[in-house]
Amino acid sequence: MAVTTKLTWNEEACLINQLGNVSLSLLYKSSVHGYSMSDMLQRYTCEGPTITIYFSNSIVGFLMLERNHKQTIWFTLRKKKDIIEMPTLLLNTVLKTTTEELSFLSYCGETIFSVNLKAQLIFLNHMLNAKIRLPVNSCSRANISECEVFRVEGIKDNRGYLKRITEVTQYRNKLLSDLRAYKPYADLVSEIRILLLGPTGSGKSSFFNSVKSVFRGRPTQQAIVGSDSTTSITEQYRIYSIKDGVHRQYLPFMLCDTMGLHDSEGGGLCVDDIPHILKGCVPDRYQFDPCKPITSKHPTYIKSPSLKDRVHCVAYVLDINSIDNLSSTMVAKLKQIHKEVITCGIAHVVLLTKVNNYDEVLQVNFLNVNKSTTSQKQVMNVSKILGIPIFNILIIGNHTSKWESDPEEDILVLSALRQMLRVTDDFLEDLPKEETTCGYFYYESTSCRLSQIYC
Amino acid sequence: MKGRIVFYDRTYYPFSKFDGKCVGCPTRLRSMAVTTRLTWLQKKILQNHFGDKKFSLLYKASVHGFSTQDLHNRCCNQGPIITVIYSENVVSGVYVEENYQGGTTDSIIIFVLRETEISECKANSYNLFVNYNDNAQYCINLQSGNVLIPPQIAKRLELPPGHQYSFQECEVFRCEDTVDERKIQGLIQLRDQLLLAMRVYKPSGNLVNQVKILLLGPIGAGKSSFFNSVKSVFQGYVSHQALVGDDTTGTSKNYRVYSMKDRINGASLPFVLCDSLGLGEDEEGLCVEDILSLIKGHVSDRYQFNSMKPITSSDVKYIKYPQLKDRIHCAVFVFDINSIEHLSYGMVAKIKRIRREMIKCGMLHVVLLTHVDSMKLITRGDLIDIYSCVPVKLKINAVHRNLGFSVSDILVVSNYSSEWELDAIKDILILSALRKMLWTADDFLEDFPLE
Repeated sequence: MAVTTKLTWNEEACLINQLGNVSLSLLYKSSVHGYSMSDMLQRYTCEGPTITIYFSNSIVGFLMLERNHKQTIWFTLRKKKDIIEMPTLLLNTVLKTTTEELSFLSYCGETIFSVNLKAQLIFLNHMLNAKIRLPVNSCSRANISECEVFRVEGIKDNRGYLKRITEVTQYRNKLLSDLRAYKPYADLVSEIRILLLGPTGSGKSSFFNSVKSVFRGRPTQQAIVGSDSTTSITEQYRIYSIKDGVHRQYLPFMLCDTMGLHDSEGGGLCVDDIPHILKGCVPDRYQFDPCKPITSKHPTYIKSPSLKDRVHCVAYVLDINSIDNLSSTMVAKLKQIHKEVITCGIAHVVLLTKVNNYDEVLQVNFLNVNKSTTSQKQVMNVSKILGIPIFNILIIGNHTSKWESDPEEDILVLSALRQMLRVTDDFLEDLPKEETTCGYFYYESTSCRLSQIYC
Repeated sequence: MKGRIVFYDRTYYPFSKFDGKCVGCPTRLRSMAVTTRLTWLQKKILQNHFGDKKFSLLYKASVHGFSTQDLHNRCCNQGPIITVIYSENVVSGVYVEENYQGGTTDSIIIFVLRETEISECKANSYNLFVNYNDNAQYCINLQSGNVLIPPQIAKRLELPPGHQYSFQECEVFRCEDTVDERKIQGLIQLRDQLLLAMRVYKPSGNLVNQVKILLLGPIGAGKSSFFNSVKSVFQGYVSHQALVGDDTTGTSKNYRVYSMKDRINGASLPFVLCDSLGLGEDEEGLCVEDILSLIKGHVSDRYQFNSMKPITSSDVKYIKYPQLKDRIHCAVFVFDINSIEHLSYGMVAKIKRIRREMIKCGMLHVVLLTHVDSMKLITRGDLIDIYSCVPVKLKINAVHRNLGFSVSDILVVSNYSSEWELDAIKDILILSALRKMLWTADDFLEDFPLE
């Protein structure tokens, strides 16, 4: 008899995926190696993280990080339509073994799970049975046809791993629904406009693609990205609204993608265009000219933008790996732009992209960013250059290099987006009454001042 | 040393004198991770050599103990096993093809792995793992960390003369076929799901009935083969409708818009593939001006390309006012994965120029790398999870670096060329690539200005 798992290929793939692309090695299979407790227990020794799966009319399994680890993850695998589901539950348990039985007790001594391999019987208490939602007909005591033990390789050795994998999808979905339901402050506008600014290749268009992909539930590349040595791929001003994949409705925010900023003068986005963009005078699909800013004479120039046309939030997009090598011209440009943004009183954040250790950025409960990350050299550096407080410096991973979506990465993208919306709400709340009511406003153009600096 | 032991219910933990590494081990269990010492390449070479196997590490001497008993507890009745022995500067081992049950094994294969070369020889062994050296057979003594190789075998394996060789580590893997019945079942299911999804696909916003996908690429990259492969998958048997060849001038001279029928209900599929003349060096092959006409939908089916002269508005096959349904909705650059690094300077410049033009007019595009099955080291089993294969990853990064395409836009397929029968593994690659193209077309249609 061949030593191969009884799991179907799809079930195995689901399990592997859920645990974060680990690899599984089957060590023990009771129908081949004998239904003997000592045989099975022996396989646990010196193996590190293991998974044990019991097959009755349904599948019950648990993951242990090490033999005497306090926490175990319980799961089942079942098919719903064509999709395999894997409900999980994290429990604090104590392992107890006798010559016939292996059992997990709660801290108060109640038996949560036990197995008698010789009799081929397992017992699940009510709580466990209900929590991982086993089929109703399976009573708490069940016959098993097979027991398999796997070694798990590739578990990330970070704190709270077990808690993370059980809660990550849930948290991601909660964030998603929160953002879908978001309404801008006092309904002043129906959609928030977020402007993405930053050097060429810092990942502005990629951020848009990431956001869209998360809401769509599949990878999308609507904005063309990629490297082309020095020039910017994006040459048009694009105002992207995103249609939700579930409700087929437009989401309450738009992302405005711009041409990248260049190190040199006369290349990339023209800094003098920025005041016009901020005011909302630049139309969608406007072709940027690096040498010449838009003027009010341009045929599609929006002469009297209302509050809804305005940019409500500016996100400076910077590649975290290039922070230390920003040229002095780039820093000067960014500082100038930031001055302009502050003059207009627009909400602003920094978005650091291409963070490699993105899975370490968030705390175990996903609620906050780890202290160790915020004290990183690059983050401090950005905060110093632009004078933006650390809590408005957001961090995301590198979405473009992946095929499969990673819930942790999604969480970062969504958290960043949520933070942008919160900052924007503060901005809207802070707007003078006149500006919000008359729908039209004017402020002194600073473009001539800017051009003097760059001439 | 006792501190390390408390994690296990064992009073005795046999540290070997040969295992210098273990002594400095921290007390954390996870640092003693049971992972192989083989490099990715070494493992891959061994797996391929013994017939596209998958290795599951069952036993590692430095973790599980240098004793025959420990090894037998874990490795008996696991099916075929391979033992790998790490000596000073050579990796050697023994492969047992039948189910290993301890005790006598009739025929074994002894091998030595040097760089990427394997030398092997068949032998007999009464007891593969022994506690004492008693005869002239090949045997491994775990207690003393020695492997005994009879002189005549050592000579055939070109090992230095000697009888016993000491080793530092010994690992045992179970060998399974990478493609077994269980996987095939799962793959067929997945293929059918994908097929169904393609059949019921509707282009975004119902703006068009059929999505038009344009295949572009150097001559002989596999554009027509990809069409043949897609057609075959939907037809249920291998088809060779488009003539395929390696002729230096390109086999497809005409522009062809291939619409395909579904085998089940005879309805047209919601996408068409447009096959063009291959891109050639310098002035040969498809000219860049023609590509722009193709994208905008000015060229109709069966137009004969002229590499010297782009199509003009006076041509009979020229469509003056193309509608949304006439134009291309997704462009695909097709390359032979093996020739990525060997593209000429002119070709790279040409592709970059085409890409530049496409970006300018907002044409979304993906890259398709073909012939992945003929790459070195890649076996049929690898095709199941091809995007995680190291050599393929390297190629994808090379495309990203040299040509500027984004990594997530690069797809990998293996076309049907000489096969008679369909293979679920290949089908899935072809269908996933097609699905990505349809998604890209959706993104394009969604982004298209309403006017």
